[in-house]
Amino acid sequence: MIEKIDLKKVEKQTYRFTFTDGLYDMAYGSLLFFTAIAPILREILYPSYIIFMILPASLILVLGKRFITVPRIGIVKFNLNRTKSRNKIGLLIAILFPITVVMVVLTFLGLYNIKVGGYIVPLGGGIFALILLSLIAYIIDYPHFYLYAVSIGLGLPLAALLKPIFGEPLHYIISFGISGTLILIYGIFTLIKFIKKYPIPKEDISDVKG
Amino acid sequence: MSKDKNNIIDKIYTPNSIDKLIHEPARLNIMTRLYVVESADFLFMMRQTGLTFGNLSAHMSKLEEAGYIDIIKEFIGKKPHTMLKLTKKGRKAFDEYRKKMKQFFNEL
Repeated sequence: MIEKIDLKKVEKQTYRFTFTDGLYDMAYGSLLFFTAIAPILREILYPSYIIFMILPASLILVLGKRFITVPRIGIVKFNLNRTKSRNKIGLLIAILFPITVVMVVLTFLGLYNIKVGGYIVPLGGGIFALILLSLIAYIIDYPHFYLYAVSIGLGLPLAALLKPIFGEPLHYIISFGISGTLILIYGIFTLIKFIKKYPIPKEDISDVKG
Repeated sequence: MSKDKNNIIDKIYTPNSIDKLIHEPARLNIMTRLYVVESADFLFMMRQTGLTFGNLSAHMSKLEEAGYIDIIKEFIGKKPHTMLKLTKKGRKAFDEYRKKMKQFFNEL
């Protein structure tokens, strides 16, 4: 009992415990993976290929939390400071999402290429993604997001650099596919470990009589 | 004993003045885990504390009897769900416990 109780450390441990299911890694890995094969999907499924980039990651998070995580480790509600952090992310996304959409639309229209040349857009996009994801990592206090930030921040300019060498779609597969697959595999292994470590309890303890 | 001496003794925290309900390791673990969150359900507490269902249930009952924790019934979809939350009294008792323990070890 002489051991000092560091409440900040305990809170952080409790918070990070909710990320031990590997679902964020799987979701982000799948997002990168489908980005990598987007040029191939575009050829086959245009224009519905966009769904493949968004849907798997969303489904992994929503269904995974509901049917895998919660039955195994239960539910926790964090204090106001953590809730505020999540609101900040909401605000950040609300501001940056329209900007991103405008940038993507302008890129598709080819406006950037006319005025500023081919490498500026991917480099700008990479820096933008790096800053955005690093901010999210900082706000939600989840270090893996820094890795995500670097993978996409480097991936965009790398794809532009590799395109003249390898051509499409190999430049995307190298830039995003390798990191995406590695993050996805890491997420799957983490999830398997999580499932083994925390089996669903046999008795129903969601409604305990007080 | 003079009045002054009595005052001094009152200010020194002795092991006897420490809240024994919280001091028990399993309950201290429960109180600490609940102190850092808004609320948590029974399963989450089991995972965090490493206690079995029976053990946790028994300690929770004691803490609830003392008015340190609240058991909140809510519904997730149509399924009833039990959330556990530290009461104001529980938070105050835990703060007091920490203060006393700190002072006690500082004075050793």
